[in-house]
Amino acid sequence: MLKIEELEEIQKGLFDKYSGIKKDRIIIGMGTCGIAAGAEEILKTAQKEIKKLNLKDIEISITGCLGICAEEPIMEIRTNNERYIYGNLNPEKTREILKTHLGERNIINRWLIDQNSDFFSKQKRIVLKNCGNINPENIEEAIANHGYLGLAKALKSFSPNEVIEIIKNAKLRGRGGAGFSTGLKWELAANNSTQEKYLICNADEGDPGAFMDRSILEGDPHRLLEGMALAAYAVGASRGYIYCRAEYPLAIKRLKKAIKSAEGMGLLGENILDSGFDFRVNIRLGAGAFVCGEETALIASIEGKRGEPRSKPPFPSESGLFEKATVINNVETLANVPEIIRKGSEWFKKIGTEASPGTKVFALAGEIKKNGLVEVPMGTTPGEIIFDICGGLENDAEFKAAQTGGPSGGCIPIEHLNVPIDYDSLKELGTIMGSGGLIVMDTQTCMVDLAKYFIDFCKDESCGQCTSCRIGTTRMLEILEKISEGRGEKEDLDLLVEMGEVIKDSSFCGLGQSAPNPVLSTIRYFKDEYLDHIENKHCDSSVCASLFTSPCQNACPANVDVPLYIDAIRQGDYKRAYQIIQIENPLVLVCGRVCYNLCENACNRDGIDEALAIRELKRFASDYLLKNEDGFPIPEIEAEKDKKIAVIGSGPSGLTAAFYLRKKGYQVTIFEAETEVGGMLALGIPEYRLPKELLNEEIGVLTAMGVEIVVNTKIGEDILIEDLREEGFWAVYLAVGAQKDRDLNIEGSEEVEGYYSALDVLKELNQGHEFDFKDKKISVIGGGNAAIDTARNMIRLGAEEVNIIYRRTKNDMPAHKEEIREAEYERVNIYSQLNPHKIHSENNKIKKLECLEVKGGKFDQSGRRKPVEIKDSKLMIDTDIIISAVGQEVEDYFNKGKFKVELTKNNLIKSEGDFSTNVDWIFAGGDCVSGPSTVVESIQQGKKAASEIDKYLGGDGEVVKKENFERNISSPILEEQKSRVKMPTILLSERKRGFKEVEKGYSLDQAVEEASRCLRCDVKEKEEVI
Amino acid sequence: MSLNLKESHEYEAELKNKLKKYSGHNYELIEVLHEAQELIGYLPKEAQKIIADHLNLAPGRVNSVVSFYNHFSEYSKGEFQVSLCKGTACYVKGSQDIIKKIEDKYGIKSGQTTEDGKVSLNVVRCLGACGLSPVMTVNGKAYGLLNPEKAVKIIENYLNGKIKEEGNA
Repeated sequence: MLKIEELEEIQKGLFDKYSGIKKDRIIIGMGTCGIAAGAEEILKTAQKEIKKLNLKDIEISITGCLGICAEEPIMEIRTNNERYIYGNLNPEKTREILKTHLGERNIINRWLIDQNSDFFSKQKRIVLKNCGNINPENIEEAIANHGYLGLAKALKSFSPNEVIEIIKNAKLRGRGGAGFSTGLKWELAANNSTQEKYLICNADEGDPGAFMDRSILEGDPHRLLEGMALAAYAVGASRGYIYCRAEYPLAIKRLKKAIKSAEGMGLLGENILDSGFDFRVNIRLGAGAFVCGEETALIASIEGKRGEPRSKPPFPSESGLFEKATVINNVETLANVPEIIRKGSEWFKKIGTEASPGTKVFALAGEIKKNGLVEVPMGTTPGEIIFDICGGLENDAEFKAAQTGGPSGGCIPIEHLNVPIDYDSLKELGTIMGSGGLIVMDTQTCMVDLAKYFIDFCKDESCGQCTSCRIGTTRMLEILEKISEGRGEKEDLDLLVEMGEVIKDSSFCGLGQSAPNPVLSTIRYFKDEYLDHIENKHCDSSVCASLFTSPCQNACPANVDVPLYIDAIRQGDYKRAYQIIQIENPLVLVCGRVCYNLCENACNRDGIDEALAIRELKRFASDYLLKNEDGFPIPEIEAEKDKKIAVIGSGPSGLTAAFYLRKKGYQVTIFEAETEVGGMLALGIPEYRLPKELLNEEIGVLTAMGVEIVVNTKIGEDILIEDLREEGFWAVYLAVGAQKDRDLNIEGSEEVEGYYSALDVLKELNQGHEFDFKDKKISVIGGGNAAIDTARNMIRLGAEEVNIIYRRTKNDMPAHKEEIREAEYERVNIYSQLNPHKIHSENNKIKKLECLEVKGGKFDQSGRRKPVEIKDSKLMIDTDIIISAVGQEVEDYFNKGKFKVELTKNNLIKSEGDFSTNVDWIFAGGDCVSGPSTVVESIQQGKKAASEIDKYLGGDGEVVKKENFERNISSPILEEQKSRVKMPTILLSERKRGFKEVEKGYSLDQAVEEASRCLRCDVKEKEEVI
Repeated sequence: MSLNLKESHEYEAELKNKLKKYSGHNYELIEVLHEAQELIGYLPKEAQKIIADHLNLAPGRVNSVVSFYNHFSEYSKGEFQVSLCKGTACYVKGSQDIIKKIEDKYGIKSGQTTEDGKVSLNVVRCLGACGLSPVMTVNGKAYGLLNPEKAVKIIENYLNGKIKEEGNA
């Protein structure tokens, strides 16, 4: 019989034994996640390879989950306590590693997991300390790492009451989610004078997305057993149960083995460590009922009954299992106890926040780069966990919200990324800590759909006892289904909120009381999204499939019927393809070259291999018509109307409005201030992206339709708005764009040579002006498309060096990601997190740009870290030319006459979303209202403005005729994996020599090949194709 | 339609043998049901009766526990387990029609197994393969872009051996 004093000696001995292992050890991560990723094959491969390489004196062992699930399967090679952890393995890599590392003693650096990365260094691992480091099936390794020493200390030096006081002092709160004081719970049970008491560990972990407890059970079961023994000692229990869900077979296996080993050593069972304290532990299996995570339902389950919760009071501490005093604690709570006893409550209180000391384990899942388990001090912010520790979102997607607490919790939107996480702060936000699941969502997640998923789950898992929960969750689900199917009504939102509150108030147990949380929380933060579903029957994330034909069309701001025109291309009918696009977007060639292609982000094909190259296909159709047919089709004009309409500005918004108004039969005249037609299309976007000649071909469609374009006529200078009125124009559409560069306001910029504004440079370049930028060092300040366009132009002008200076991180740059990639290929240097401060010049010539380094401060409303300057971090950049591209405003020269159009405080035209202004016959849309936006969004604005103008003039406002196209699968869909056809581009050497178009365009074969990848998500009934 | 695919004599003796190690306390019911289901593959009414007897419980009580917990099944899983997805994307593409076709063709409803034990049908929340909707899995292998005829054809191909499963059957 092992005695208390002996344990310490044994620990020392084992510590020396295991840390002193001279021979090489191969340790394979064998948690359930590792096994699911293929760890068993890695183990077999390792065993075979060792034999093959004839390596002697190697020990092969296993461990639990390290927490970095994104890198599984994982294999560690440990020699003399030096740890080399390799991740993302397959059998081939494994063989290579064993041969190179163990055979030749050479490390393969690029496959190693960086143990010093933020993922590890920013964690504070107390309960997960041993997970991934020791063999969970070997009790010696647990003891070597101080396992059971806390128990020994307590049995030796503390009375049960003293143990309770320590835990109370430490302010340990229940990690299962409710956050109730563990010490207090123990005290209540301890004070109960009944003889028989029970200690139950709740290892049901039913939340979808939560796997913290599983990691502890599989990776360090002795820690849990020790915690349970300490709890039992404190409250006076001699029998313990671990209620573990049946879906965790590996955890159950490891627990059984651990209990047996512990009993074998006298650390569990009768007369533990010869102290007279008895504590026997048994395992009880769950059977797939989420509600059994609730303590009284759990008790019922152990009693062999249906898992139906009971009323409280009496609380379990008074009358629980078999009507005896019972304490139920969560796995993570109990796993915290041994260290607290060993190191003291003061040590524990130094970690975390005042109201919630200690750490919390979070399970990161969803659209996150490094999914897995992290243990951080309470008070860490969601922003830190998601972006600093776990590397941000997959594919650098845009963060939308994070769900905490699973089906009982709510969401944390962008505006709360800075809130320190603890039990109370989360409650205020309308969510709960819950078990610690943290699901990260990007803009492709629909919050209505998410709420529906969780309420569906709760409805399924409801035990059925109380009407509130049983019927309430069903009714709430029905309303959400209505909304997601386009049958929602305005009252539905209020009804959901009212029902939610009632269900919370009147449900019998925690399941019902928290089931409405995801719905209430998403309504609180994403009401607009619900209203979009109800009022506009629109799902922005392209998830609620009843609301759209295909996700690509749904994501397109102009609602272009993508699958239909892709099919037309596949059938060789390029004219039809162009016409289909032209129905919703007249600037086909333009968008085929410069569109942001939001459609591709929503493409379902991405789930198989890669999204379709939709933009490239659109370009192919327009190019084919130009080359092989008589140019672009001209649409039919409706009956001629007598009314004249003036469009000011020939950018995308103006051109589009003119197109639709002319199609309706109006007499349309476009007034353009410059000589060139196209606005930013001609004077902003560079020649190598959109050649002027081709742009003018497309504008030719409008003139062929009868739109008059008057150039070199600036409203406010050459002609006033009142003159237009006098000339008989019934309405005026202001589409003047936001073409004034915002002032950088930088010291030293007055009166020096070489300081330019990006828009001026782009315009003059496009107008043929010659700049002397050859062999110069050029700095472009800004991170949007104007900055990138400018920088890439500078390369073509022969600059020696082109640097982009941006104050946030590269990820935060608003420019199109494709453009940023191309800029880097063309050798533009991008310097991020630098704030320009002062221009240094000599003899009026710029010499240097002084910048301050910037670090990310708190998260702001855009979900990005606010740049905070680092004091005394001056950096000087040699430069000859500085070009500023930091924002755009409206030039309001149109207000020079007697009519004044109101502006907002941001110097944009004020319009309430219906394109009207304070003057009822003057309308406005595009960049001059919204600020700098994208081409396709401006096109949509122009289209909608045309509709409003038509309505104002007595028309029906229907500028796009609703057509019901027949949708058939014309040829078989390519279902096997096939990556997208790459757009051929010209080489860097060619690019630098001039302004030749960078993208070469698809050949006919390439276009048909790519078009065959379309899944035709728009076709509902897929008949068998023979 | 018969639900009891295994005749009770096939498992009665072994079940009673396994029950011996349980002391007969009725709170051991769930442990017993786990073990019985592992032995037989599911929990037919006969087995439930035997268990009820041994633990001194009313058969109705045992059945109420079996019907409560998701893990316990009164129907055996078929040799070919067919799962249809009822997520929004699949629903809109006509997964309902596919489900109905399978139900009609094989005479079973969701959650049930055919009399010969070959095909069982399950409807799940979301398989996560929305790009291929409507989606069906057979013993875990996914098939997409279906229509009712195509789906039934695939199941038939499993039944007549045209599709062979890899690895352990």
